[in-house]
Amino acid sequence: MGILRKDKKSADSSSTSSTSPCANLRTAYHNCFNRWYSEKFVKGQWDKEECVSEWRKYKACLSEHLEDKHLTRFLDAEESVDYSGISR
Amino acid sequence: MLSLSAKNLMGKAYKQEYTYKHPWERVSSASWRKFADPENKRTLSHILEVDTLNHKLDPDSGKLYTTRAITIHAPGPWFIRKIVGQDICHCVESTVVDGQSRSMQLTTRNISLQKFIEVQEKIRYDPHPDNPDRWTICRQETSIQIKPLSALASMAEKVEQRCAEKFVQNSAKGREVMERICKYLEAESSGISL
Repeated sequence: MGILRKDKKSADSSSTSSTSPCANLRTAYHNCFNRWYSEKFVKGQWDKEECVSEWRKYKACLSEHLEDKHLTRFLDAEESVDYSGISR
Repeated sequence: MLSLSAKNLMGKAYKQEYTYKHPWERVSSASWRKFADPENKRTLSHILEVDTLNHKLDPDSGKLYTTRAITIHAPGPWFIRKIVGQDICHCVESTVVDGQSRSMQLTTRNISLQKFIEVQEKIRYDPHPDNPDRWTICRQETSIQIKPLSALASMAEKVEQRCAEKFVQNSAKGREVMERICKYLEAESSGISL
């Protein structure tokens, strides 16, 4: 009973699974990024961004499937938002 | 090597410090992999999804800015669930890595349930002053605040306490996963496959 209810709940919540269609593209991008980060970035080779095509595909998928409007705002922003200085 | 201090201002604020006996390069790499590694999914089962929303590299300064969405499963007791109406919470994590000075700063805050609660977590990874090339110090600050006029306000103290306990538990799990990934990366870099 408890398990059934839980399953139903997570299936109902569209926000949980909204980006799952992008899971493969996400993994491809994150794998590429992680490799770039530990093999190049931390060694001072930050002159060139890599994983560009992986990112493009993944982001296109996200634009299509990300439903939460609070989140899509960040996706639309051309530059990443730096909150570190903001205290709320 | 963990120290924990708490003070009760408005809401709850927690500070933790932890030393990884791994170089900053490895620890910051592990931080990126923390939620993604399938092997760790079981330990960090409260993390449902992590998506990168945005990133920017400044090739002149060696700074990397990233925004990620983190979906967390945070079931509270039934009376909280009844008020809040959901047990999924979206958070936005923004990270700045400064490759030149070797620092990584992550700030995470909730963007859903904001009318009830505000949680902000800041984590910094820096080379440890006692052994900058081999150790990394992690400083973590968490603040939890129930909105004064929300339906939860009357039980704010209790909810904040519970929330804080959960955070401390989860950050212990986070460290466990970080240590595991660091070990893995260490083995990988010396050519041993696990």
